[in-house]
Amino acid sequence: MADPRVAGYAEALFAVAVAEGDLVAVEDELFRFAQALLANDDLRTTLTDQSVPAARRQQVVEDLLDGKASATTSALVSMVVAAGRAAELPAIVDAMVERSVASRNRTVATVRAAVDLTDDQRQRLAAAIHASTGKEVEVKVVLDPSVLGGVVTEIGDDIIDGSVRRRLNQLRESFR
Amino acid sequence: MSQRRNRLVAAPLIAVLGLVALAGPAGASGESVGACMADHLLELVEEEHGDLGHVLHDEKVQENLEKCFEAPNPILPETNEIIWGALSFFLLFFFMVKKGFPAVKGAMDARADRIRSDLDAAEQAKIDAKAVEADYVSRLADAKGEASRLIDEARGAADRLRADLAARAEADIAALRERAAADIESSRQQAIADLRAEVAGIALGAAERVVQASLDAEVHGHLIDAYIDEVAGSNG
Repeated sequence: MADPRVAGYAEALFAVAVAEGDLVAVEDELFRFAQALLANDDLRTTLTDQSVPAARRQQVVEDLLDGKASATTSALVSMVVAAGRAAELPAIVDAMVERSVASRNRTVATVRAAVDLTDDQRQRLAAAIHASTGKEVEVKVVLDPSVLGGVVTEIGDDIIDGSVRRRLNQLRESFR
Repeated sequence: MSQRRNRLVAAPLIAVLGLVALAGPAGASGESVGACMADHLLELVEEEHGDLGHVLHDEKVQENLEKCFEAPNPILPETNEIIWGALSFFLLFFFMVKKGFPAVKGAMDARADRIRSDLDAAEQAKIDAKAVEADYVSRLADAKGEASRLIDEARGAADRLRADLAARAEADIAALRERAAADIESSRQQAIADLRAEVAGIALGAAERVVQASLDAEVHGHLIDAYIDEVAGSNG
């Protein structure tokens, strides 16, 4: 959280979510939207294009989230996009999630997997991480087909890589 | 010197003796036969007190007159001539001894000194020439020695230069060979590595496709469960 502007927006999102009394849901919806924005180049290009009127960009956001997210989440994303900070939205959301999780005395465990984890798997993974590292974590899943299979977990600077991709890379290194 | 002086003295003596010995009869008396006879007759007349007839018939007188027909002594001059001649001679001799001889002697000595000086100069010149010749010979020998030394040095330098160039060329050739061998080996290793990487890439690509094809929901679930178990099993 080196950029004070990102930190400021993250703190604003967190404050609004807390004020609306739906912090966890808003946090999760924002996280998913940020992942979708990273995965979709067209969407990112549209929302970061300053030549497109702000109202038009806001309309795109509202159309995307209509019925799929809460009004609070939609309003927050629309606000950030209208402010011309769509490019920084993933970083803002990451900072907001960290701030939110920290408010619950927990740490974010970003899990990248080719398929989504079930609730049971998320709970067991959080328990396993707690047993392994002693940290209380909240699992945030990021769908990443490049992982191929298995899971890559990032907790701060620590990475626990159990992906098929890593094994293939190890196999590639063994060929050299 | 003394020999030259003796010759100077002997020459006038020989001239005097010759003059005395070879003097002619006419030169001896210097008067005619008639005057001789007249003188005798006059003397006899005076002795006979003027009796000329008696004188003419006297045989002794006849003999004396006959003597007038005889030639005078061809050698012995008249006494006065001897006196004058001797006086002149001695005057001349004195003059010669006092004036001529010193002048001649001085000229001769000067000439002898000049000749001796010339001889000495010639001798000195000869000595100098020999010294110059010896110096020239010495210098020539030195020059030959120096030339020989320079030639030897140049030959040695050329040999060393040739050896250095040859050694450098050998070293360059060896370095080039070594570098070429290293390049070849590097290229070979690079080719092997590239080939291995290519083969690995092909194999891994095939493996990845196989894995992707074989990964269904069930397998994904198993992989995630296995990962969770692995994380739970690890302790820190």
